[in-house]
Amino acid sequence: MRINRKNRLSLSKLVTAIVAITVFFSTAICVFFSLMYYKNAVEQNAITNSMQAVGQVSSMLTSYTKDMNDIMNAIRSTVEKEDKKLQYEYFTEMTQMRRDLETIMVYGEDGELLDYWAKGRVLKDKMSTNLSYEALPKKEGIHISAPHVQNMFLNDYLWVVTISEQIKTKSGEWHQICMDIHFANIASYVDGVGIGAHGYCFIMDDAGNIVYHPQQQLLYAKLKKERTDEIGKYSDGTHIADGVIYTVLTLDNCNWKIIGVSYVDEVVTSKVSNMAYIVLFIIGIVVFATTVAGMFFSRLLSKPAQELTEAMQKFEKEGEAFSFYPIDGTYEITSLSDSFGHMVVRIQELMEKVRQEEVTLRKTELNALQAQINPHFLYNTLDSISWMCEEGRTEEAVEMVNALARLFRISISKGHEMIKIERELQHAEAYLRIQKFRYKNKFTYSFRVDEKCRDYLCNKISLQPLIENAIYHGLDMSDDGEITIEVYEEQGNIVMAVIDDGVGMTEEECKRILNTDVDSPSGIGLKNVNDRVKIYFGPNYGLVIKSELDEGTRVEIHMPKVMEDNYEK
Amino acid sequence: MKNNGGRLVIIILSLMCIIYLCALRFSYEKSDKSLMSKDTKPYVAVITKSTQSAYWKTTFAGAKAAGAEYNLELSFQGPEREEDFKTQNEMIHEAVEKGAKVIVFSAVDYHDNAEAINRAIDKDAKVVVIDSDVESEKVSCRISTDNYKAGQMVADALLKGEDKKLKVGIVNFDVNTENGQKREQGFRDSVAMANNVEIVSSINVNSTIDDAKEGTIAMLEENPQINAIVTFNEWTSLGVGYAIRELKLKDKAKVVAFDSNIISVGMLETGEVDALIVQNPYAMGYLGVEYAAKLINGDKIEKDTIDTTTTLITRENMFTPDNQKVLFSFE
Repeated sequence: MRINRKNRLSLSKLVTAIVAITVFFSTAICVFFSLMYYKNAVEQNAITNSMQAVGQVSSMLTSYTKDMNDIMNAIRSTVEKEDKKLQYEYFTEMTQMRRDLETIMVYGEDGELLDYWAKGRVLKDKMSTNLSYEALPKKEGIHISAPHVQNMFLNDYLWVVTISEQIKTKSGEWHQICMDIHFANIASYVDGVGIGAHGYCFIMDDAGNIVYHPQQQLLYAKLKKERTDEIGKYSDGTHIADGVIYTVLTLDNCNWKIIGVSYVDEVVTSKVSNMAYIVLFIIGIVVFATTVAGMFFSRLLSKPAQELTEAMQKFEKEGEAFSFYPIDGTYEITSLSDSFGHMVVRIQELMEKVRQEEVTLRKTELNALQAQINPHFLYNTLDSISWMCEEGRTEEAVEMVNALARLFRISISKGHEMIKIERELQHAEAYLRIQKFRYKNKFTYSFRVDEKCRDYLCNKISLQPLIENAIYHGLDMSDDGEITIEVYEEQGNIVMAVIDDGVGMTEEECKRILNTDVDSPSGIGLKNVNDRVKIYFGPNYGLVIKSELDEGTRVEIHMPKVMEDNYEK
Repeated sequence: MKNNGGRLVIIILSLMCIIYLCALRFSYEKSDKSLMSKDTKPYVAVITKSTQSAYWKTTFAGAKAAGAEYNLELSFQGPEREEDFKTQNEMIHEAVEKGAKVIVFSAVDYHDNAEAINRAIDKDAKVVVIDSDVESEKVSCRISTDNYKAGQMVADALLKGEDKKLKVGIVNFDVNTENGQKREQGFRDSVAMANNVEIVSSINVNSTIDDAKEGTIAMLEENPQINAIVTFNEWTSLGVGYAIRELKLKDKAKVVAFDSNIISVGMLETGEVDALIVQNPYAMGYLGVEYAAKLINGDKIEKDTIDTTTTLITRENMFTPDNQKVLFSFE
């Protein structure tokens, strides 16, 4: 029953562990799925944001390029009118009005500069190359150049894009009209748009040149690289590469693309990981709280349960001596404890009752045994008496009859188990006298009795079986023997001893005598005496046999001092 | 009873510990970030040799870009004259007093700025040197042109396509400024190996256009045989250019100058200047402040010396798309 108990979990720890683990795993699973969902949502959100930003830039740029187209158309129609005066006034006004329109140029068929309007600036004497001119095929249609420096004017190098168009004059010549547009307006459209904390938009043309980038100078200083080669190949839409979200949108009316750049790290990962940290933090708190709560609750339940268990184990061990103190706790525990308390009391009552019954039963049995008179003994004694009468030894016969009568009177003793030691000694003497007659004075006997002990009680017929044993087994009948009966006080107890000087016994025999129910002629063996003494006075009392071979045997009855008035039956 | 349960409890506790550590780290990071984003921005002082030249303006533009990126409060200061180390030392002192976490510094004087810088570092400010070095062991990081190599580039540009005997005049700025001396050293070591070069004269002028111009004119009048001039910064380049223009020597004298300025670029086009060695001041400013931010955040700095690019620009290649980007700052 008790195996393995050491390895089992106690209730409180088990409950705590189960609660904590369950809470942990269930929240962990919930968190995992909600984080997945959250991540998806954040990603979608990031893409939408990026789309919106790019769309915003695109619509502004579309209207801007449309504006430029309109200006181009106006220029063309003015040029086509071939009214020098009108042209001059109109273009001067136009360059003054539009801040970002740096220069209007008209080139002849071979690229020679025919005329220009440049907010009053004057051309350099010597120009190595004109970066604002690019020979175009002779057909209609607008061309937008890559960004470049305008190097036509002295000490003035502005970054511009050139918008050019070929037009056919009335004389049939192709003229190329160009305008250099400064970045200011485009920059203001693009710079203001951010995606996330560090995301941005930039403009690229279809040849892969960056037209405008908010961090243009970083790119020029080679501190930053934009992967223009790959981005150039992207179609419109969203692309994710190397942790960067690229959103590409091509403008309707020119060859520019708007690229929105945002960082997965920043717009997705950091948000999700922030969320994850918060959630983990919460899980930590929840698990901690549940563990503590679980510990507390299981303590509440299991500590009294444990006490109860311990009480039961103790009861199991101690039995009658155990006394139960009620255990405090919840309702269930107290009622358990109460029931157990009742049970303990009841069991102890039952045990006491059983013991009492047992004692009564044994007493009854013994009384019955004592009442029996060994017929053989009686017959032999009567035979001896009759023989004495025949021989005319009347005096001896009378004495014999008297002894026999005393023997039986004391034996009966009104059915009392306990009699005074005085009486027991009389009984012993009567028996000894009869036996002495019968054995023809083969042995002698003597009494050494402490007079103070005579009034104490002892078990009825306790000396006689000892004497009988000494006569039949102890004495060597071929020689004269001596039997001594002693009664004295030792360490607060009464000792009655029967000593013979006969053959003696070995130690094994001594032990066997007390354990086996030998049928003695008187019907009462040593074991019986021992048992009775123990039943009446407890396990500390009883017979003690000391014997040495060829020296004799000493059998002692140890019992407490009991007076008649304090002995209850 | 105790064994198994104890182990379980330990497992659970350690699990919670791990979670708590994560949470703590998170909250730590968060507090760190919030510290950065609040109005108590870390203060970084940028102290340069001067504030007026195109070179330094571009440097500041780069520094500003990085300052915006890393959310730093910046200040830009420099003495009026590029020889005035005393004012610079005062500026260092003031910056430390104002609680600058990092000083991004370009030294006027390699020796005489050292004490002020060491004192600043002793007061827990960190120093990132850009452009021109200072004699201090305690500087966290140095970001500049490889000046010796730049000097060699000047030599290469001068020697390229030249068979005739070159009689060279050197116009350098303050003899105590580290980068100028390194450049000159690089140049001298490099031309020493060529057999057609003779250094006729070498002068040190104050780093102003006027001083350089007067110095150059005096040098050319004294040594009319000079047919090549090299010079090592923006102001002296302009001074030399103006001197050549005034003396109408643009066809006779080959000039290799330093740094880009709208005027010196114009001179390159018109012929007073024949080649420019262009540094990358924007990168210096940007990287200087970027490394300052790294120092503030306690990030590891992999290299304590960073070389920024230098480009040789000649009349022929000045308008290639790449060189346009090098020469002309955007906006």
